[in-house]
Amino acid sequence: MTLHAADAATLLVDTAEDGGSAVVAIVVGGTSNARDAARIAWIVGAGAETTVHGSLGAAPLDDAAIALMKEVLADPRGSDGLHELDIDDIVLELYLEVRRPVQELIIVGAGHVAQPLAHMGSLLGFRVYVLDDRPDFATRERFPDAEHVFQADFDDPFRDVELHERSHVLLVTRGHKYDYACLVRALRVDSPPAYIGMIGSRRRVRATYVQLLEEGFDRAQLDRIHAPVGLDVGAETPEEIAVSVAAELVKVRRGGTGASLKEVERVAERFFPDGDEER
Amino acid sequence: MTHDDDKSLTEALQAAREAGRCCALATIVGTKGSTPRKVGARMIVDPEVGLVGTVGGGCGEAEVIEAAKEVLKTGVPRRVRVDLTDDFVSWSPAVCGGIMDIFLEAVDGHSPG
Repeated sequence: MTLHAADAATLLVDTAEDGGSAVVAIVVGGTSNARDAARIAWIVGAGAETTVHGSLGAAPLDDAAIALMKEVLADPRGSDGLHELDIDDIVLELYLEVRRPVQELIIVGAGHVAQPLAHMGSLLGFRVYVLDDRPDFATRERFPDAEHVFQADFDDPFRDVELHERSHVLLVTRGHKYDYACLVRALRVDSPPAYIGMIGSRRRVRATYVQLLEEGFDRAQLDRIHAPVGLDVGAETPEEIAVSVAAELVKVRRGGTGASLKEVERVAERFFPDGDEER
Repeated sequence: MTHDDDKSLTEALQAAREAGRCCALATIVGTKGSTPRKVGARMIVDPEVGLVGTVGGGCGEAEVIEAAKEVLKTGVPRRVRVDLTDDFVSWSPAVCGGIMDIFLEAVDGHSPG
């Protein structure tokens, strides 16, 4: 049962698009009698169901490869690369391809901030959706990088794009009342989005929170909202605001502090405390 | 590789297979130092279509293409090490100061079943 390179590639792409994770192991060397370029795939679907495709030619090799693939997938930093497996007296050299679910960025409001943000989100590997109730703004021409551009009613904004754990929702509509309506919708989704960001000043955010509490939401739910949106880089123009939001999305994805690395590492202060004397 | 790169490479592999064409697949499986593309980058050498994707361009890639032709001829997979550390004083964009390990395989053009 050989897994063709084209089928392995298709499995990786399709699984990631469907919200699952996939690993393909390819024999690239070693002393085992596995044929070079033999492939085996370990797939974890969106519903956590698992399947194996292909074989390296012998059950013990397959078992060892599957154990390795599970381990690499469980490690959040696990990515493409070479691995050596010692199985009894033989060495199996495997190259692993690791694909995780495609993350989505849903930009609600198709204005000036949305445009650079759609572009940056796409560069960061998000599948980008843009929606607005104004047909003149929700156009493919304005958002060439987006997967889909929808004309949507803000009373039911997520009708055409389902929210889930891989969704990153950004509320940047033209009016605060629309942001609020969409925020309530996003908070009430059964499977909470990974990120909900809403643009607005401190005063507006505070007013929003007062209203949310009145409507029965609790503090824990307020804490899920990234508002005011973005990292503090002093952004003013739409492009700068998009950078600030994009940086926050990376921070959520990778878990950084958001501070300047200069301040985090303090290289000069730690290694050269007494002026120019080298330590 | 981005998801879009993944998609276009996959489409090219499937297209070659459906047309019954054998092609060579090059994958960067390891790197040391500074290299133009990173682990996971891929290139297809399709005798009819040409190149799809890139493993870095320049003279390093020329070496890979030569090796890919050999793999297409013999059908035997092989590893190629591309050393970009040689000509350090040259200002060529291909000189990055790193080493790439590339796995090359022939992908057959027979459709399944």
